[in-house]
Amino acid sequence: MSRVPLLALDEAPLTARAWYREDGSASALTRSLASAPDLLETLMPFLGQVMGESSLDLATKELVIVRVSQLNSCHYCLAAHRPVALDAGVPPEHVAAACAEALLDELPERERAIVDWVDRVTTEPAAVDDGLLARVLDWVREDELVELTVLAGAIGMLNGYCIAFEIPPPS
Amino acid sequence: MRDAIREAVSEGRMGDRLWLYATYHCNLACVYCLTESSPRIANRRTLDADAMVRATREAKQLGFTCVGITGGEVFMLPDFAETLRRVAETLPVVALTNGTLFTERLLARLEPLSDLDVALQLSLDSDEPARNDELRGPENFATVLDAIPRLLARGLRVRIATTVADQGAAELERVCALHRRLGIPDEEHVVRSVVRRGRAVTKGMGVELGPTDVLPELTLTADGAFLHPFAPTVLHGRTDLDLLVSRQIAPLETPARHFLSVVWDQPVGADVVRSIR
Repeated sequence: MSRVPLLALDEAPLTARAWYREDGSASALTRSLASAPDLLETLMPFLGQVMGESSLDLATKELVIVRVSQLNSCHYCLAAHRPVALDAGVPPEHVAAACAEALLDELPERERAIVDWVDRVTTEPAAVDDGLLARVLDWVREDELVELTVLAGAIGMLNGYCIAFEIPPPS
Repeated sequence: MRDAIREAVSEGRMGDRLWLYATYHCNLACVYCLTESSPRIANRRTLDADAMVRATREAKQLGFTCVGITGGEVFMLPDFAETLRRVAETLPVVALTNGTLFTERLLARLEPLSDLDVALQLSLDSDEPARNDELRGPENFATVLDAIPRLLARGLRVRIATTVADQGAAELERVCALHRRLGIPDEEHVVRSVVRRGRAVTKGMGVELGPTDVLPELTLTADGAFLHPFAPTVLHGRTDLDLLVSRQIAPLETPARHFLSVVWDQPVGADVVRSIR
């Protein structure tokens, strides 16, 4: 049971309805945010840019989303993004590894470096060191690392939101 | 923004009045109240005086030509007489009131308003005391009828609003005869329907509002900005958000921008049938 109202289309502010699908449905996250339509107006395009396709491929972004959500134990985001990650082309074994410490070593070198980076950024950003930076920059450009780091932060924010408000995960 | 508002007003897409919900607190608990207002309301949702004055000044700059202030009962706010004067110094105002709180002391504080463009719109639902009081509370009829001549004597402009629940044509005609006897002309008498929102939903009263039944008029409350004054209703203690356009009410340009974006998406409202005033 969510701790904030999950507004149906006909309950939602007029200025929030653009974020509902044509059939009137919307994710529980969107429905929870609808009571703050001014926030939605900037948050949704922001999330679209951060989480959507850019110079970085969607598979890499989804791997980061799943990993950060696993670190924060966000059931909503894990339930929502595991299937999205698979659709984006993340191999099932990579998704599984991002969700289990024991399997991390099975990730290829590139994905492992990225996961190590987002782990540090998420759990102890002050402990980022030049060695880790150099290792991840062997696989992504600086601007891509900027994107991944902002993505990790945005997902951390959403994880905290979903956990605190007990947003029900998609079934 | 000013040009966009002028164009929308001239095309009949919106009204040129800014509405302010001063408070949801009320000394009455009318059976059809849109906002579930009562003496014991948990969340009074009060706009402070400076916020109302600021909104009015910004409204004038944006091209709005008048202000309506409603509630709740506006005179539940201790300094409302002075707030009304400050607002009226910027734009013409109509303040909606249940007409039950006009002590001699309050009337004296209202007297300076007689030189300003201010109307007090009092609610009166029947010419029969029992019928009126059934909707609006005990002794309401007698209190309002006592207040009207005293307001007029102070030089204040008085309007009458009749909210129609199940009153028939004959009863409404008798209300008209009553307000004429009281010295209030027909053009100062407003008849509007109970709208099925707020407490009227619980009571199964009133008419459903269609999307084009009410002329959009930017309406500010402590909960945010809404499409029209029938919009910021309360049901079971929660504000209805379906007609919210913005949570932000200051600076006024922000909610006005959101309001205009909605107004331009709606059909032109030349045939609106509901009004709160």
